[in-house]
Amino acid sequence: MGEEATKVAVPESVLKKQKREEEWALAKKQELSATKKKNAENRKLIFNRAKQYAKEYQEQEMELVQLKREARLKGGFYVDPEAKLLFIIRIRGINAMHPKTRSILQLLRLRQIFNGVFLKVNKATVNMLHRVEPYVTFGYPNLKSVRELIYKRGFGKLNQQRIPLTDNSIIEQGLGKHGIICVEDLIHEIMTVGPHFKEANNFLWPFQLKAPLGGLKKKRNHYVEGGDAGNRKCLQLKQNLTPTKFGGNVITSLLECVFSLS
Amino acid sequence: MAAAARPLVSVQPLPGSLNDMATDHVTTVALPDVMKASIRPDIVNFVHTNISKNSRQPYAVSKKAGHQTSAESWGTGRAVSRIPRVSGGGTHRAGQGAFGNMCRGGRMFAPTKTWRRWHRKVNVNQKRYAVVSAIAASSIPSLVMARGHRVESVPEMPLVISDSAESIEKTSTAIKVLKEIGAYPDAEKAKDSQAIRPGKGKMRNRRYISRKGPLIVYGTEGAKLVKAFRNIPGVEVANVERLNLLKLAPGGHLGRFVIWTKSAIEKLDSIYGSFEKCSEKKKGYVLPRSKMVNADLARIINSDEVQSVVKPIKKEIKRASLKKNPLKNLNVMLKLNPYAKTARRMALLAEAERVKSKKEKLDKKRKPVSKEELAAAKAAGKAWYKTMISDSDYTEFDNFTKWLGVSQ
Repeated sequence: MGEEATKVAVPESVLKKQKREEEWALAKKQELSATKKKNAENRKLIFNRAKQYAKEYQEQEMELVQLKREARLKGGFYVDPEAKLLFIIRIRGINAMHPKTRSILQLLRLRQIFNGVFLKVNKATVNMLHRVEPYVTFGYPNLKSVRELIYKRGFGKLNQQRIPLTDNSIIEQGLGKHGIICVEDLIHEIMTVGPHFKEANNFLWPFQLKAPLGGLKKKRNHYVEGGDAGNRKCLQLKQNLTPTKFGGNVITSLLECVFSLS
Repeated sequence: MAAAARPLVSVQPLPGSLNDMATDHVTTVALPDVMKASIRPDIVNFVHTNISKNSRQPYAVSKKAGHQTSAESWGTGRAVSRIPRVSGGGTHRAGQGAFGNMCRGGRMFAPTKTWRRWHRKVNVNQKRYAVVSAIAASSIPSLVMARGHRVESVPEMPLVISDSAESIEKTSTAIKVLKEIGAYPDAEKAKDSQAIRPGKGKMRNRRYISRKGPLIVYGTEGAKLVKAFRNIPGVEVANVERLNLLKLAPGGHLGRFVIWTKSAIEKLDSIYGSFEKCSEKKKGYVLPRSKMVNADLARIINSDEVQSVVKPIKKEIKRASLKKNPLKNLNVMLKLNPYAKTARRMALLAEAERVKSKKEKLDKKRKPVSKEELAAAKAAGKAWYKTMISDSDYTEFDNFTKWLGVSQ
């Protein structure tokens, strides 16, 4: 470029452009340092939150065990509170469906076979589930299932697009206004059906799961008949099939052994 | 528009005896607005293809051809095809097929007629647009050179010569003038290119072809220069009031090399008008407006007006990377959950601890117990039993004293 010392005349537009570019560069640098600082702070915050949640989960488990033991000691029984969260997986395809049940599945965001969504348990949802029972299978997930689902198959809905959860910034962009800024926050919100469960759940795109390795038992029948549809509740009394490794929490094992998750 | 806004074209002086402005040196003429009109090769091509159809002469086959027989089909049953056959006998021609386009000596398919539509009507405005475009293109040296004219030695484009040229009578002086103004190489090129046409046109009165040379445009009616210049091969002459598109854009290609006389170029303004002013000669005609007044995109984009409101260039575009499984890949997991590292570390340590303590416990159990430890264990058991009894405080009850063995 020309300098003032030489005789070359620099056009005014060039000078103006130079000045503008300097300003832009400065603004960019400032912005960059600001975001860096914010990221560092965020990181610390996320670490502490995750630690707090880990403690909380452990506490909850211990508490449960303790209460059960106490009750047994006293001679009574501890009744677990009814589960608040369930995970539904669509089992059947899309042909030959009654339009009303089709609409219900659409409302539940289960538009494709082997799509899964989390769902809050209340009278409304339970009634909906009852109507679509032959097309879905569902159960009550534990922490491990929720974590693994969100880490491995978690995608968020940003701008009507399905974006993989590769960074906490994506979650912050989608759910920042509800105070959920990282994956651990999201998992916590889903697991303990929190006040912003609706937004958090809606942010999660319906999970696209693989068809189960090893196959389903029998799609056409209900779980209690030895098939797959409906609620996978642990039926210790009625179970006269070979004792499966499907003890404890059934949905966990379903997801592990049947749907390829981990 | 004031003439000052238009650039000035200098008039080339002519040599020797023709020079009547010896004292006046170089005069100038303002560039007429026509030369600034938009150049539209598409319109010129369209108009040229249609206009050039207008001088055609009709052709057709004889309307009787192929029908001057009384042929009739023999019908079926005679082991021959059913086309009409020539009646009669005693000659080769008898029984031969007739009438059909496939027959020898028959009439052609769709005999050509003279009432074919030979001429084409073109809208007057389009015709004028084309002429105006062609005139504008003739003032641009690159277009003229692209068309193939040898204009390297021409001093200025558009080339204007003084009016003294209009009174040239001898062809020899005409050639001298052409040499003087640098137009002779083009005329020379035309002369050298004279050749016999390839193809059947040879025998159809179109035997010779050659390139086109310069077009001389004069202003005053009845100028002598017509006769002087017309015999030079390649050179054509035209009156400015009657400009022909077929001459200005031969073959539909813009950029004929035009040599204007001073009076001709001065008349252009009154014939075609300007962008605002109507033409005097053509009723209600105004020069066509172009789609973009300033077509220099680079200049517009780099102008200050545009650059001042433009946003900065995004040099680093973030693209979606491959999603890696955090449950398998530790680094990706840490990006999402920084606590995972300590959690995993604690889990590993706790596991190691558990393994160690279990091993110790087992080792202790499997090791034979020493005598002192055995005695100590037995004594501790006895003591506990005693405390249990005293704690329970069942001594008040008669029933229990019997089987508890309390020594009170």
